[in-house]
Amino acid sequence: MTDRFEPAGESAFSEDRKPAATLRMVLRTPQGVIGVTIVAVFLLSALFAPAIAPYDPFQINIPDRLQAPSLNHLLGTDQLGRDTFSRILYGGRIAVQLAGIAVGLSLAIGLVLGMIAGYGPRWFDNLMLLLFDTIRSFPTIVMAMAVVSLTGPSLEMVMAIFVINAVPGFGRIARTQTLALRNTEFILAEHSLGASTALILRRHIMPNVVGPLLILAAMDVPVVITVEAGLSFLGLGVLPPTPSWGSLLNEGFRILRDTPWPVIAGGLPLIITTLGFTFLGESLRDVFDPKLRKEP
Amino acid sequence: MARPVLAVRHLSVDFRTLRGRVHALRDVSLEVPPNKIVGVLGESGCGKSTLINAVTGLLANNAEITRGEVIFEQADLAKLSERELLKVRGEKISMVFQDPMTAQNPVISVGRQMTDTLYRHRKLSAGEKRKLATGMFRKVGISDPEERMDQFPHEFSGGMRQRISIAMALMMNPDLFIADEPTTALDVTMEAQFIHLLRELQADIGCAVLFISHNLGLIAELCDEVVVMYAGEVVEKGPLAEIFFNPCHHYTRRLIECDPSRVLDRSAVLPTIPGRLPNLTRLPAGCIFRSRCGHAIAECATKSPPLLAVSETHSVACFNHASLIERPAGGRAPRLKSNASENPVLEVDGVHVRYPTGGLIRRLLRPDAPRHMDAVIDVGLKVAEGQTFGLAGESGSGKSSLGRAIMGLTPAKDGSIRFKGDEIRGLPPREFKRYRRAMAMMFQDPVASLSPRQKVRRLVMEPFEIHGADGRDLNREAENLFQMVGLSREFFDRYAHELSGGQARRVGVARALALRPALIIADEPTAGLDVSVQGEILNLLRELQRELGLTYIVISHNLPVLRHVSDRVGIMYLGRIVEQGPTDRIFSRPAHPYTRALLDGIPRPDPSMRRKLESIEGEIPSITNRPPGCEFHPRCPIASDLCRAVPPAATELNQDHVVHCHNPLQGA
Repeated sequence: MTDRFEPAGESAFSEDRKPAATLRMVLRTPQGVIGVTIVAVFLLSALFAPAIAPYDPFQINIPDRLQAPSLNHLLGTDQLGRDTFSRILYGGRIAVQLAGIAVGLSLAIGLVLGMIAGYGPRWFDNLMLLLFDTIRSFPTIVMAMAVVSLTGPSLEMVMAIFVINAVPGFGRIARTQTLALRNTEFILAEHSLGASTALILRRHIMPNVVGPLLILAAMDVPVVITVEAGLSFLGLGVLPPTPSWGSLLNEGFRILRDTPWPVIAGGLPLIITTLGFTFLGESLRDVFDPKLRKEP
Repeated sequence: MARPVLAVRHLSVDFRTLRGRVHALRDVSLEVPPNKIVGVLGESGCGKSTLINAVTGLLANNAEITRGEVIFEQADLAKLSERELLKVRGEKISMVFQDPMTAQNPVISVGRQMTDTLYRHRKLSAGEKRKLATGMFRKVGISDPEERMDQFPHEFSGGMRQRISIAMALMMNPDLFIADEPTTALDVTMEAQFIHLLRELQADIGCAVLFISHNLGLIAELCDEVVVMYAGEVVEKGPLAEIFFNPCHHYTRRLIECDPSRVLDRSAVLPTIPGRLPNLTRLPAGCIFRSRCGHAIAECATKSPPLLAVSETHSVACFNHASLIERPAGGRAPRLKSNASENPVLEVDGVHVRYPTGGLIRRLLRPDAPRHMDAVIDVGLKVAEGQTFGLAGESGSGKSSLGRAIMGLTPAKDGSIRFKGDEIRGLPPREFKRYRRAMAMMFQDPVASLSPRQKVRRLVMEPFEIHGADGRDLNREAENLFQMVGLSREFFDRYAHELSGGQARRVGVARALALRPALIIADEPTAGLDVSVQGEILNLLRELQRELGLTYIVISHNLPVLRHVSDRVGIMYLGRIVEQGPTDRIFSRPAHPYTRALLDGIPRPDPSMRRKLESIEGEIPSITNRPPGCEFHPRCPIASDLCRAVPPAATELNQDHVVHCHNPLQGA
C-alpha cells in the first residue's frame, strides 16, 4: 500500500486535465508564459488584422517605395510601396488559416486511422503501419516540389501535402495510445456491458488519446508555417499578390540589394511564432506527461 | 530495557503540495528494541510509508521534517548528510520492498546484485563474496544456489524474488531490517512461506525488525510489539498480546473487529468504520479520529490526546479509552438471511479456456513448442438463483479467465455455458448482447475499471444508453442507483480518480446493477480496499442480493471474504476446480490437500493461534508445463505413486461435495 501523499500533489494535478487546470499549469513556467503570450498575440493579430492594419496590404503606392521603417510605415514599404507591416498582418491570417486547417485535418485523420489501427484487426494495423512508414520516408519539401511542379502552385496544394506528411505522426501516436488502452480494465468493463466498438472508441478511447495529439499539433503549427513559407519562397506556394510570409520573404529577397527591411520584417514573425508554438507545445508536454519533466 | 536500535522521537513530516501543506506525520514516536520485531499497523494513508522513508532518508523532495529526530546508533539520521547516510543505508539498515517484481535490476544477474551490496565492505575477494552470497541463498531456501546465482530476476517467481530480496537485505548483517508490506504481491501459500522464513532468519541473525503492514493477521503472526497508526499519528502502541487482547483505542478495536476472518458467523453483518480519513492539509481540532469514533467526549473536540500510559508498556492516545476496558456487552449483530432457491441461473459444464501463445515467427522457429496454454480445464459448476458461488485460488489458477469466459469476453473452447437454460457459449456478439443485460461483471481494480475521462453520472447512465432506456428518465434512474449503493448526489460530477477506492467500488456496483441483472460476477470485489471499507462493500453486496434476489459469482483469493459471502465454494488450481461444495463444509472439513493448505495459509489476527509450520512447500507450476498425473502432486504432502501417474477423477463425497483427489483427507 503506497502512501497517498508520496507523489505529493504533482501527479494528483496531472490527473486533473481540465482545460483551465492545464492552462494554469502551463502558465507556471516562464517558457509557458512566453509561449502562450506569443500564440495569443499571433492569433489576435490575425483575427483583427483588418482593424489593426494601417494600410490596405494590396494598395500600391510607387512614390513611397522601398522606405525604411518610420512612424508612417512601421516596417517600411516594399518595391511597390505597399506597407510591410500591413502585409505581415495579412500574411499572419493566411498562416493561421493554413495551420488551423492543415493541422486540424491531419489530427482528425491521424486520430481516426490510428485508433482503428490500434483497436481493429491486425491486418489493418499492419497496412496502416506500412502506409505511415512509406509516407514518412519521403522528405516533405522534395515531395512537395515534385507534386507542385506537376499540379501548379496553390494554397490548397500546400495544405494537402502537409496533411499527407503529418498524418503518420498523429496516426502513430494515436495507435500506440490505443494499443496501451486496449487491454485496460475499464475497456474490458465496457465490453462486458455490451458497448459497441464505435462507442468504446468514441467515448472511452478518444478522450484519452487526444491529449498527446494536441501537443503534437501545437508543435506542428510552426512546421506548417515554415513549409508554406519555404514553398512560397521558392515560388511553389501562395501566389502574388497574396501576402503570405513566405512570399514576403521571396519578394524581399529579390530586392535585398536595395533594402534589407522586407526580409527582416518577413523573417521575424516567422521566427517568433515558431518559437511561441514550440514553447507552448513543450510546456503542454510537460504538463501532460510529468515523467518527462525535469525536477525543478 | 536495553537501548533501542532505532528511536523515533516526536517526528513530524510535512509535504509541500500545490494544494497546501500536507501534515503527513505528526509527533510520531516509536522505538525498536534490539532483537525484536515491531509491527507498524495502519490502513492506506496513515503514514506508514512516510515513516520508513523518513527513517531511511528517502523522503521525496517536497517533504520536510519539521520536528523531531530519528536516533540510530546515537546519531540523528534526519540530520545526516546524504554521504553519511550512504554508510547507514543498506549496511546497517536494510529494506525489503512491497513489489518483488520491480525491486531488482532486470539486466544484472541476481548473484552479481548480491555481491554488489558488499562493494564497500571488507577486503573480500570476488570468490569469497560469491561464497557469502551462495550461503545466503541457501539460507533463504533457494535450491541449487551455485547455478541460480547466475540467473536473472525474470527467471525467478515472485515468491523466490522476495526471498532474494531478503537474502540481499540480510547480506550485510544489518542492525535494523525494514520490511514494507513485503507480502502484498504474494499468494497465500507464498506469504505463509515468507513469514515463516522471516521469523526463522530473524531468530538466526538477531537483528531488530520494523515490519509495516495493513494485515492484522500478519502482524499477529510475526511481531513482538505493535504500533498502530491513524492519519499520521501513533494512536496506540504496546506488546502484541496487549494490543490484540486489550485494544484501548477505538480505532484499534474497530480495526480488529473488521477483519473478516474474525467474523465466523456467515449471516452476520460485517463491522465497518464509517467515515473517511480527515484531510491532512487542514487538520481538525482535537482528536484526529473523533469524526469516526462514536465514543467522543467533550474534551476530544478541543484537545489532541497525548499518548497516555495504560500499563508500563502499553500506551494509547485517547481521552475516553477507560470505557473500553469493560467491553460493552452489545446486542448481536443484525442478521441477513439468504433466500436462495433451487432454480439454476447458471450452469457451466466441461468448459475449457485456451489462449494461443506466440505468433507465426515463434511457431516457425520452435515448431514443437506448445501453441497454446490452457487457462481453464474441464470446469463445471452450477449456481442457483439468489445464491453466491465463491471461486477461490491463487493467482494464475484461472479464476478470472473462467469469469470472463462466462461473460463472453474470452471465448470458451468447448463445453457448455447455460444461462437460465439458454446455451450462451459461442454466441455471436450481436446475439450475446441480449444476455448482457442480465449478466454484469465487476472488475478487480475499483478505480481503473472506470473510464477515466467520464463523469460518474455518465458512467452510471451508460448501461441504459447501450441497451436502450425504454423511455425511462435517466437522471432519475441514476439517482435511484446512487441511493441503492449509498452514494450521495455530490459524486455525480466527479471523475473516477477523484473517488476513494470504496466510493469507486460503489460506482462499479451501481453500474453493474443498472439493468437489474440476474447474475453478477464480481472479480476480487475487495481488492485494493482497506479492511474497514471492505466490510462496507461486502455488506452492500449482501443487502442488494437479499433485496433484488441477485445471484453472485465472487472471485477472490481472500478466503475469509469468500467464507463470509458464499453459499458454495469452488477451489481452483491450475485451471481446474479441484474441490467444490457447500461453504461450511469446505471450510470445516476440506477434502483436498490443497484446500487444506490454503486454509492453513490464512494468517489469523490472533496471537495465540500462531502457526508452527509453513502450510505448504513449493510453488504453483507454470500452466505451460503441467505435471503429469494429479497436477498438485509435486506439492502434496500425501502424494502416492498413483497420484504421480493418473489424474484423479471427480469423487462425490456426500452433500454434493466433489473433490478431485485419490486420497481425500480423513474426516471429510
